[in-house]
Amino acid sequence: MGFWLELVASGLITGGIYALVALGLNLQYGLMRIMNISHGEFLMLGAYLTWLAHTVFDVNPIVFLPAVALVLFAAGLAVYRLCFRRITRTSPAVEVIEARSLLVGFGLMYLVQNAAYLVWGADLRGYSFLAEPVEIAGARFTGNRLVAFGFAVAASLALVAALRWTLFGKAVRAMMQSPTGAQLVGIDTAVLHPVVFGAGLALAGVAGGLLSMVYEITPAMGEPYTVTALIVITLGGLGSAAGCLAGGLLLGLVEALGMHFTSPSLKMLLSYAVFIAVLLARPKGLFAR
Amino acid sequence: MPEALLSARAITVRFGGLVACDGVDLEVHPGELVGLIGPNGAGKTTFFHALSGVIAPDAGRLVVGGADLTGRAAHVFARHGVARTFQTPRVFRDMSALDNVRFGLEFAGRRRVHAHDAFDDPRAILGFLGLGEAAAVPAGALTPARQRLLEIGMALAARPRVLLLDEVAAGLTHTELEASAALIRRVRDQLGVAVVWIEHAVRVLMDHVERVAVLHQGRKIADGDPRAVSRDPAVIEAYLGEEGEPERLAA
Amino acid sequence: MTPRPTLVATAIAAALLAPAPWVASDFALSLMLSCLMYVGLAVSWAMFSGATNYLSLATAAFFGIGAYVTAWGHGTLPYALAVALGGLAATIFATAVGAAVLHLRGAYFAVLTFGLGELVRHAITYAEKTWAKTVGRVITEPPAPEVVYLTVLALAMLAVATAAAVRASRFGLALAGIGSDEERARTLGVNTRATKIAGFALAAFFAGALGAAVAVRWTYIEPASVFNPFIGFQTVLIAMVGGAHTLIGPIASAVVFSVLTEVLRLQFPYAYLITLGALLILLVLYLPGGIASVFERWKWARSHA
Repeated sequence: MGFWLELVASGLITGGIYALVALGLNLQYGLMRIMNISHGEFLMLGAYLTWLAHTVFDVNPIVFLPAVALVLFAAGLAVYRLCFRRITRTSPAVEVIEARSLLVGFGLMYLVQNAAYLVWGADLRGYSFLAEPVEIAGARFTGNRLVAFGFAVAASLALVAALRWTLFGKAVRAMMQSPTGAQLVGIDTAVLHPVVFGAGLALAGVAGGLLSMVYEITPAMGEPYTVTALIVITLGGLGSAAGCLAGGLLLGLVEALGMHFTSPSLKMLLSYAVFIAVLLARPKGLFAR
Repeated sequence: MPEALLSARAITVRFGGLVACDGVDLEVHPGELVGLIGPNGAGKTTFFHALSGVIAPDAGRLVVGGADLTGRAAHVFARHGVARTFQTPRVFRDMSALDNVRFGLEFAGRRRVHAHDAFDDPRAILGFLGLGEAAAVPAGALTPARQRLLEIGMALAARPRVLLLDEVAAGLTHTELEASAALIRRVRDQLGVAVVWIEHAVRVLMDHVERVAVLHQGRKIADGDPRAVSRDPAVIEAYLGEEGEPERLAA
Repeated sequence: MTPRPTLVATAIAAALLAPAPWVASDFALSLMLSCLMYVGLAVSWAMFSGATNYLSLATAAFFGIGAYVTAWGHGTLPYALAVALGGLAATIFATAVGAAVLHLRGAYFAVLTFGLGELVRHAITYAEKTWAKTVGRVITEPPAPEVVYLTVLALAMLAVATAAAVRASRFGLALAGIGSDEERARTLGVNTRATKIAGFALAAFFAGALGAAVAVRWTYIEPASVFNPFIGFQTVLIAMVGGAHTLIGPIASAVVFSVLTEVLRLQFPYAYLITLGALLILLVLYLPGGIASVFERWKWARSHA
């Protein structure tokens, strides 16, 4: 019994991280049609920053999370201004925005990843934090996993709530549904776009910080999360934050169970299989009305 | 009455909670020039999307030339003789005007035979529309009014039985408007193509069509002779929300 | 727009380049081989992705599949057959993937093709470990360098000829229509889904065949080295810099970048990639049509002076 609980829980924990990463991408793509394929690289940066803070300055990683969020948010503002704003201004059609932002993201991915390689090298890095096991209902978890899960879910729920109940959140959702209509009532895209983009990267960075508490880090660690984020968005439905949370948890669970019955190396195959199955059965997402 | 070229029955299209088209029926017979009018948001363009296969209706049936095409992809509709233009002209911007017209001939028009010789050659089609000298110009460089004409040419190149025209009048002067209407009449008269024409400039349309259908909030509320329709109380009421519309209706 | 001038030029180029193994130094030959490989990859990529704007990031996956066909067939299959089968395997895979994801928006398609490299790599690692009980494979008897060179030359020229023929054909018109306004193309009778799958599969053939051909240059083949995402990145960059909508752009660009890569990459691996990343960003932001678009504008300005 304890074994199954551990398996399900580990799936949910991974899923919580997936949800957090996917939320960031969902905001960016849903609002601006920017498919930031370098999204995972900013997760990686968040992981490295947290690792640096802990190993060099002895800062508690949990305490450092808000700092990671702030740094990545600022980075997001800069990246948007330098790399993506021009695309949204000069493209004749939505498809062109998508295509061009993809290519820019692709270049950005190589730039950021190799900068990390240059600075920190290719070796695996890591630190030990809350690694002592905790026992709950006959299952054993390391403290860091529980913390990571808790924060991921809490952050996701906070975002869902913010989108639903704050004025800013409503503005974002309004823009996602009807860009022109929202502009007519005075929502300023020149401010909204970079802020949302920055928020997206901040979420990725926080996810990376949480991951660094549990796993070893390497410059290439972020790549798979971008693809997974897209799969989660498809599961949950584009533009739906609650769907992201549910979709992420679900995907994590399916992966954990699937990997147990087949093999860990087939993780990507499993997620793609889930993706294709959902697309065929319910193209608008599992939770679409 | 000859067999309908295009038969739409009880077409319903929903977007989430909104019903854009609610059980709309329409039949188009050979040689007809049918107008489709209605206040903003009546569902006219959505109906066109359903008629051309761009959107699959949530309910209803679409029969084109005797074949049931309900739910089929747009290219199937095109190959069965349904061609259309869009509300804002959609042309292949980087290709020359000639290549834009050639496109339709190469694909939907390829296996379709038509009696009139305007359909065999892209230059002839451009000539018919008065765009002969623009053949080599990239479509994106044409004025919006000429792009609209080019779009009609692209649709004609598909050798359709039925041409769905979604608004021709936007931004045109009165003279240009009359010229466009005359062109549409020529498409029907000389080329023998049936036309369904959506238009906001209602008065011009009413002067040129023999039959008009009116949509309001997704439903068809009238279908018949333009004079009778313009006096229909339901139609007048539908337009009362629009400023000045009742004056425009009086034929 | 007949392809005949291009086909003639291709044949001439092939004739001129063919004697290289007997004339050039080892280093020069290796360089030319890299050049030709990237010409083939970039031209076939642009043939589909440049025309339709569906950015395929799956080149590395197809390349790796081809390489593994060679690895598995080594010793039993003749080299030429392995190359052909490598291309075919990639085509079949592309058709399956295309059928599953090509009806999605371009952005989804790109990210999913991006993940394919990882997916195939993991799948093959798993398969090798489980069934073949091995991690990598050794190429014990590679074909002679002339054979490898001439094969790659033939594939590159074939890619150019195919791209030229497609551009002049009805199929190429359909691809261009999809890239310009896909829904419009559909309403004019193009079965866009089938057309896209066909274009994607055709481009995959060349990536797979080239992977199979070039694999013998490595003595030890293992998933990590063969499924190298850099090949995909370099291909996209080359095509974009040259001008993905043109034929000559990617060719010229491939030559330049192959030389640059050969010279710089081993010396400054990370710095070089950082620069390339920045280059792609700047290019897309300020010159999305590539260098070829500069020429086109210049030509247009002169003819309208």
